[in-house]
Amino acid sequence: MDTATLPAMTLVGDLEALLGEARVKSKPLELRLYDKDAGVERGSASAVVFPKTSQEVAAIVKLCRSHDAKIVARGAGTGLSGGAVPTHGDSVIVSLMKMNEIHEVDAEGPTAWVGPGVINLDLSDHTQHLGLHYAPDPSSQSVCTIGGNVGTNAGGPHCLAEGTTVAHILGLEFVAADGEILTVGGAAPDPIGLDLRGVLVGSEGTLGIVTRILVKLTPNAPDSRTLLMAFPDVLGAAKTVSDTIAAGLIPAAMEMMDRPMVVAVENFVHAGYPTDAAAVLLVEVAGHASAVAAECEIIANIATEAGASSVRTAHDPIERARLWLGRKSAFGAVAQAAPDYYLHDTVVPRTRLVEVMEKLYEISDRHDIQMLNVFHAGDGNLHPLMAFDAKEPGVMERVMAAGDEIVRLSIEVGGALSGEHGIGLEKKKFMGEVFDEYSLDAQARLREAFDPDGALNPDKVLPQGSRCFDFDFPAAV
Amino acid sequence: MATTSVDQLLEPFLTDSETSPIGAEYVVAPPTLEDAATVLRIASEHGLRTLLAGSGTHQGFGHRLAPDLVLSTKLLNRVVTYEPEDLTVVVESGMTLAELDALLAERRQTAALPEQSGSATVGGVVAAGVSGWQRLGYGPIRDRMLEAKLVTGDGRIVTGGGRVVKNVSGYDIPRLVTGSLGSLGLVGAVCLKLWPQPAYAGSIAVADAGEARQRAYRPRAIIETNRGTTVYVTGTAAYVEGQVRDLHGTVTPGLQWPDPLGATYEFSLRVPAALTPHAVDKVRDLGRGVQFQAAHGVGEVRLAANDLDLRGLVGLRSWAESVSGAVVTVRAPDAAYDVFDPWGTAPPTLELQRRVKRAFDPAGVVNPGRLPGGL
Repeated sequence: MDTATLPAMTLVGDLEALLGEARVKSKPLELRLYDKDAGVERGSASAVVFPKTSQEVAAIVKLCRSHDAKIVARGAGTGLSGGAVPTHGDSVIVSLMKMNEIHEVDAEGPTAWVGPGVINLDLSDHTQHLGLHYAPDPSSQSVCTIGGNVGTNAGGPHCLAEGTTVAHILGLEFVAADGEILTVGGAAPDPIGLDLRGVLVGSEGTLGIVTRILVKLTPNAPDSRTLLMAFPDVLGAAKTVSDTIAAGLIPAAMEMMDRPMVVAVENFVHAGYPTDAAAVLLVEVAGHASAVAAECEIIANIATEAGASSVRTAHDPIERARLWLGRKSAFGAVAQAAPDYYLHDTVVPRTRLVEVMEKLYEISDRHDIQMLNVFHAGDGNLHPLMAFDAKEPGVMERVMAAGDEIVRLSIEVGGALSGEHGIGLEKKKFMGEVFDEYSLDAQARLREAFDPDGALNPDKVLPQGSRCFDFDFPAAV
Repeated sequence: MATTSVDQLLEPFLTDSETSPIGAEYVVAPPTLEDAATVLRIASEHGLRTLLAGSGTHQGFGHRLAPDLVLSTKLLNRVVTYEPEDLTVVVESGMTLAELDALLAERRQTAALPEQSGSATVGGVVAAGVSGWQRLGYGPIRDRMLEAKLVTGDGRIVTGGGRVVKNVSGYDIPRLVTGSLGSLGLVGAVCLKLWPQPAYAGSIAVADAGEARQRAYRPRAIIETNRGTTVYVTGTAAYVEGQVRDLHGTVTPGLQWPDPLGATYEFSLRVPAALTPHAVDKVRDLGRGVQFQAAHGVGEVRLAANDLDLRGLVGLRSWAESVSGAVVTVRAPDAAYDVFDPWGTAPPTLELQRRVKRAFDPAGVVNPGRLPGGL
């Protein structure tokens, strides 16, 4: 067998020999489904494979390496920043969707070992009877995978009180770039040696392929209430957010929607949101029965003081679900309003929210783009959403230009490039505006320590040329 | 010749050697991060084994090191920025916890760092990865550090993370340096997440730790010692009162922490959180001279004694390691480190860890050999 002359063909053959033909897809039409994520960029690959075990992933990595092919790990493909887009035509996409087993739930821990292909919401459904759930809840939680969540350090409304994915990952088994299966962390606190868990979480498949995940489970709150508050201006809503947190209360979630978004949502699901308000704040207070009512009262007073025109409290599950329905239907509502949308994800210091919102409207007006906002106000995580029709000539250029300005605005006010979606392909051009050359070089060195030959998900996260300094000193013995 | 040149190069940063108990040839206290970078560059160029030192609180962690150079952070003690409204503060690593607490107290805020280590430095706490009593409530320190400035072993100033509470921008260097014991470089400055001081706080003495863990709702801590168990709660008056009712305990206002374990030997036993009661039983079996403080819900038991048969710890360690935990030396006489490895069995990712260290400290000069496996 001459592997040197026909590497791609032989690789597919080798993969088929390993997994069987049914778990290797290589026809152009089949590949078309896997060459992009939920973002805008498209790539190309030579095969998609569907391993069922860590050992199969390890064997796939070794095969790909022996054929010099790049390896792109993929969950459900709901990412928005191009993190799962294959940038090399000879790439092999490793879909982890068949590794969807919940291996072990320890109700006492409470923890669970899960496969990377487990759907986020399925885990919470599976542990519901134990009074437990998996806290990170990205909007796509009914379809996205926990492996993908690990890749992007996914967030969600309830990360305000509970922290993003990284705070819920206790241990990881992963296949390293050389095909070795390694485990980091575990259920005991503070693993000895360098703690590599945090580096793997949010690494977007560039440091290893995660094959088993030990997650922390969270006890369900015994009581919760939802408040819906309407404000005549964004300022009042933002002040309510800041003052609540300054009062020492950390609600389970604090979500803000601006008027364009409220109108879109109301037209779509009729959740009963006040469409005349400039901003609507949805606050969930969860906790011990003795505390929830008192905390709701404090927050309602803060809102009234900040000029809220109405405050509604939902006690029962049906009314609460109705109020949340609006928030959860936001992206569907936008799809009704315009055929295409582009969703951004940046973080700004909470104290700059009002100023940033004003500038956002200025940017969208100037580029003549319809903008709607729905976001995690409690942690300053903005999600400006531009709705448009891609068939309109020149609109894509305007959307991209406005998007760049939005990201730069966040950098200017001391914010972050991404709160929960990741850098992927989309934002790597901005990395140099946030980090200096030494800091980018350090990240590139770290990547090199994990993946010296750049085989894993190349071209993502770090811009080209990040690895710009040589080692000046001989390596230690 | 080389020695002369090192003398000259380090001359501007030299300080009195009181801070060095170890008898290193050079003791330096650079006044800025740039100067610290210069010092580490010199150390890398000349192969000087460098011990990074704050106030020494956590120097008991890890393998012993006979350094050529001690780099003290005592002049790196400034507040870089304090944004009370955003609940973030950026400080240099040589600032003591007492200084930080005093600053934050003016605005009734807290970083929830270890409560009884006023002389410890922020950098020391981060480098040792020590989370303090309130870890159950506020999370481990790795989740509270938003940004880190690391002066790498080869003298580059690297920034990782950002100054906002939510961030995925490249690889998470702040979490990597947490608990790295200076093996990648000097943690020069950090941005910490803050909280308002709670309106009400109570320490509730309870009869049974296991029952308390079932009944308490999101307490700050459940600490069991030789003397009994206390549940610590903070929040609104309604919540604190509700907890006192539910736990049927005796409440004392405020957070009344147990006295620090001051003995000659101190170890950290780490097990999965659910096994904390078993860990307490095992520690009790070591004998009556052993004092302990167990953090239920966290899985850490600190144990201490003035006189200890280290052979008893070997059994404890093999049990801990069999449940994916560890027994780690916190403080002991130097001779003990030769008899009882301060970490135990090195992790299986040692080769990868070695490559990561080399990426930040190619000459292998910062705190060499202190981590498990001689990293």
